[in-house]
Amino acid sequence: MQSYCRNNDFENFQKEFFISNTLCEQSVIGAIVIFPVFSFSMIIPRTIFSFLGTDGEQPQSNPRFKMVLWLIIAGTRGGPNRAKILNLIKETPMNANKISKFLNVDHKTIHHHVKILSKNDLIVKAEKDYGAEYHLSPIMKENQNVLEEIMRKIGTK
Amino acid sequence: MVDFMLAAVIAAFLNIGLLLVTIATYVQNMRVIRSYYTSGLVLVAILLMIQNIVIVIFWFTLYMDDKALMMSADMVAHYLFAINVIQTVGLSVLVAITRR
Repeated sequence: MQSYCRNNDFENFQKEFFISNTLCEQSVIGAIVIFPVFSFSMIIPRTIFSFLGTDGEQPQSNPRFKMVLWLIIAGTRGGPNRAKILNLIKETPMNANKISKFLNVDHKTIHHHVKILSKNDLIVKAEKDYGAEYHLSPIMKENQNVLEEIMRKIGTK
Repeated sequence: MVDFMLAAVIAAFLNIGLLLVTIATYVQNMRVIRSYYTSGLVLVAILLMIQNIVIVIFWFTLYMDDKALMMSADMVAHYLFAINVIQTVGLSVLVAITRR
């Protein structure tokens, strides 16, 4: 019976395989492959959604952050109160006690809201100790116009 | 033997309950903030609830009345059960982050 896999053949095969492999690699490196990169906004421009009523939208606000802020404020229980807290400490940093006095809301409720807000990186505590003042986080400061837009919607009712 | 159809309907009832909680929260927020966002949230939750109500209605009327349909529906009931249970898990997460 004839054997098909002699040592000789196998070596030849290895050589060929190696050569073809290196050739292949070279051709991949040599070729310039241009992948078309489409962003979401290129495929579906935001103007399509303009009928949804985002009146007076400023282009500098981050649309993803806007979505998250809307969800935290409009999509959770006690969200409107959270918006009020953000609006209050926008100008002057306050501690939880002061906020509860200003908004006339229970101290425990404010503590809970403040905890959720800082967990979601919307506000930061100035120091570590108890009764420290809270102020807006950098990303929240950058996108204050989103908060203003939401506050206008709250103000109408 | 597990009755997958019954389990699926129980999951559908659970979904309706979870969606009621979600809708209640969304409507409370919509009364304070009137915007496309809040009304959209309410609409999505209501549509999901209609879907689950349709499943319950199907089980209550067609499935119970028609013996032949019952046989064939039982053959695919485990898929319906899987769909509903996954939805229940998803809605539980949604309720958990909504009611925090």
